Amino acid sequence: MSKFSIEADIRSKLAVVLGFSTIAVFIQHIYVLSFILIISIAAALLFGANILKAIKTTRNLWYLFFIIVILQSIFSRSGQALLAINGFPLITAGGVLKGGEFLMRVSVIVFSATIISTSNSREVVQGLVQLKIPYDIAFMVSVAIRFLPLLRSEIKDTFTAIQLRGLDLKKIPLKRRIRVYLYIFNPVVAGAIRKARGLSIAMEMRAFRAYRKRTSFLKLRLSAADYFIMVFTLIFTSAVFVMFYYFNFPAGII
Amino acid sequence: MSFIKFENVSFNYQHQKLLLSELELSIDSNSFTAVTGPNGSGKTTLGKLAMGILKPLSGKVLLEGRDISTMSLGKVGSKIGYLFQNPEVQIFANTVIDDLGFVMRIKNIEENEINKKIDTVLDFLNISDLRNSNTFNLSYGEKQRLAIAGILINEPQFLILDEPTTGLDIGRKKMLSALIEKLLAAGKGLMIISHDHKFINNFSGKVLKISGGKIYE
Repeated sequence: MSKFSIEADIRSKLAVVLGFSTIAVFIQHIYVLSFILIISIAAALLFGANILKAIKTTRNLWYLFFIIVILQSIFSRSGQALLAINGFPLITAGGVLKGGEFLMRVSVIVFSATIISTSNSREVVQGLVQLKIPYDIAFMVSVAIRFLPLLRSEIKDTFTAIQLRGLDLKKIPLKRRIRVYLYIFNPVVAGAIRKARGLSIAMEMRAFRAYRKRTSFLKLRLSAADYFIMVFTLIFTSAVFVMFYYFNFPAGII
Repeated sequence: MSFIKFENVSFNYQHQKLLLSELELSIDSNSFTAVTGPNGSGKTTLGKLAMGILKPLSGKVLLEGRDISTMSLGKVGSKIGYLFQNPEVQIFANTVIDDLGFVMRIKNIEENEINKKIDTVLDFLNISDLRNSNTFNLSYGEKQRLAIAGILINEPQFLILDEPTTGLDIGRKKMLSALIEKLLAAGKGLMIISHDHKFINNFSGKVLKISGGKIYE
């Protein structure tokens, strides 16, 4: 965590993420989304999130996002034609705007989600439990977070192993390459099932759910700063919605 | 010319200290080489560098005189077979016969030839009885043999086995030992990465020890 980061409770971080994500999902306006993106990056940095690492980790997802942006630009046609073939508008101003909005929306969700990564998995579980989320569900969330890197490395090993069988993926036509990708699912899914089974046995052995009420050594306490963050997030989110839907600000572009 | 050659190879994982430093190593195509060393010393890393799975920080790994970083994993895989520490990551299909044949089917090889190759490799490994078995129901030792079968069906000249004795009982270790003897007799070169000294001492060849980022013979 950087020297200038804010030490906050996971519940206030969850409130910030929820606020930004809600705006990103419900408001479809490039200016608002751009503004929220800047705010969410600033907030992530303030909470000590490693933005560059998050971009690197989600590198492959961004390629997918860009493909969706291009497809959206082509298939949503409205406004002035920017590129036309034989009079048929292929790329329009409205399409580009929609693509841009999509990119802004996923960026807000990804960057604001990095705020949660500044807390460890134990704090996340405890935060959810203290928010009255059942422990079983909270624990599942923490298991998912903990197993993601493991799953990633297993997929990578499997991908390497299938190529080492003598398959030069770059030289295989797309149709046959898809068949290769389907074979990758087998060891990955089988491994995940095996791990889940092993984990459930280990949990039973450690008396998971043996008692209805569960006590915890770790207790999270909200500080004045946390209350401020939560109230500010609520006011900010509400203000953005009121400005957009009630005062129609900013006005539509196209 | 050496089959695999390390020229002044150094390697470290991201944000970690240097794991292997200025390694010089030559391995012949029909030789036996054992790589030993304590946990975390870089044994598996050495194997992955030899396969081109990992790229060196500096220096070069040459396969038959060619820089391995310029070769695709598919090309390397047809020359060197690699058995992962966990053989389950290299079993891709639900049945033994499909697992051994799917790569050849993707490459549009004739069905008769595929079946002939599968029978030969199953017979070589004494697992013909598993031909129609479901891969999920195999024991650990059987999965390891199936993974080796998947490697051998590619007819590589050289095999790298990463910790092949992990999780095997005495009986299975003896079977693996007999299989290694058989592979050596068939003219295959082998590199075994293991800290099981007793197992390694069953074979005559070069023993390399990795310690403190350096390699000692």
